[in-house]
Amino acid sequence: MNNKINRDSMGPIESFYKSHIRESQPHAEAVRKATHHPIETSDEAGERPVSSQKASNESGNTVVVAPPEFRFMYPEFLPDPAMQYRNRLKEKLERMDMLQRRSVIEIPEFYTGSVMAVTVADANSPNKFSRFVGICIQRGGSGLRAWFILRNVVDKQGVEILYEMYGPLIHKIEVLRLERRLDESLLYLRDALPEYSTFPLDMEPERRLNNLVVPVNPLKVKLRPRPWLERWERQNLQGVEDLNLPQRFYDKAEKVAKPWEKYDLMLHYRKTIPAEEQEKIFAEVHSQLQQQDLKRKIRRRRGSDNDQ
Amino acid sequence: MNQADLSKLVSVLKVAVKPKPRLFSSPEGPAGRLKKLSATVTALVKYERIELNYPRAEEAQGYAERLISDAIRNGDCHKHTMEMADYWLNEKQLVHKLFKVLVPRYQNYNSSFTRLIHGPNTYPGYQPGTAILELKGNPFPSLQPETHNYHYWLHNVLLEEAKKEFRSAREERNAKTTESVTAGI
Repeated sequence: MNNKINRDSMGPIESFYKSHIRESQPHAEAVRKATHHPIETSDEAGERPVSSQKASNESGNTVVVAPPEFRFMYPEFLPDPAMQYRNRLKEKLERMDMLQRRSVIEIPEFYTGSVMAVTVADANSPNKFSRFVGICIQRGGSGLRAWFILRNVVDKQGVEILYEMYGPLIHKIEVLRLERRLDESLLYLRDALPEYSTFPLDMEPERRLNNLVVPVNPLKVKLRPRPWLERWERQNLQGVEDLNLPQRFYDKAEKVAKPWEKYDLMLHYRKTIPAEEQEKIFAEVHSQLQQQDLKRKIRRRRGSDNDQ
Repeated sequence: MNQADLSKLVSVLKVAVKPKPRLFSSPEGPAGRLKKLSATVTALVKYERIELNYPRAEEAQGYAERLISDAIRNGDCHKHTMEMADYWLNEKQLVHKLFKVLVPRYQNYNSSFTRLIHGPNTYPGYQPGTAILELKGNPFPSLQPETHNYHYWLHNVLLEEAKKEFRSAREERNAKTTESVTAGI
């Protein structure tokens, strides 16, 4: 591998995306979800090398292994890490239901910061559907309760709508611009200047320059003058411009900060699903997702052929 | 947001992890709790068997397992793991011990790396009791008696033979009683 990337300076998400660049070679197939090239691992997340989709376990049988980026593309397949709510059977049944829904509706890959358009069935609207375009500012929930919030400014009024990804009323989810931002949660857009949250309602889907890499938009947003909805200075936001607050705010933030949580290994453990379980879950789910993807591509190709 | 945090990959721990952490009061507050536990983890890595109170031992076991599992998964060139080892091990030669001695020792373990044994309790027993926390594979003699029961040990051989004799004697007796019953009819 000639392209050495210094991962120490990067955050975990950035370095994950740089790993995509490694896989993309000019002559390689653009099959992004199936990695057939060994990934050198020195990134923050400490992922083990996935040499091929079919690895062999100790007994020598081939075991299907999902690519490591699945946990970022489909985070709702991982269960709620709180131990009180873990139930393997319930999670398995939920995953089956999620795959069933995904076979009917295409739920595309998206991240916080992507601009999306969602069409929902609405009994009270004239054409029975209502479409909303917005930037995804937050996503959460696990299993069938996975949700995301889209924000837009319509007629100078900020509007946010929470959509449940697996809800039966959802008719179509389109990603108009697939990109990432420097933060996992863009709630600060509520206190930012309105131009950062405004997107035309008739926005066309943008063509991606590089199918293998999801770009990180390093935009730094300008906030309106105080008062704000939250104390942004306490949240270590990367995607906002310098807040220019009086020093007392930063002093209080330091007083209130919990720097020891960075070292609390058990706290991190309780907030996440262990890697072995993640691998098991995605190995279960990955072949079905791939099949669905293929079927959709074939249907689309057939559709375009019929049009011609 | 109850989605799992994806920024770090952790290995599954082979010890029972309780849903809530135990709090330890200290003058420095929550920071002091981690400082106390780091002292315990340092002592565990240094001496490989320590005797202490049960609540602290149980908490420290989790942190020690996490540290060792991170070291095994990521190795010593990983920045985050080195920062954690630097914080949790107060003596710097123990960081070397962790990566050069403990990681190769536990590389292929499928079980936990530590063992928590209940120690002597002081009567009348209002306190949670003491515990002994040790790293597996330590050079000291084992604290717990061997629980093996091999079939070739003399008493087991004699017991097997005695059982066989008893069973054959019972069958003979049953055969005799059925004969007498059929003869009687």
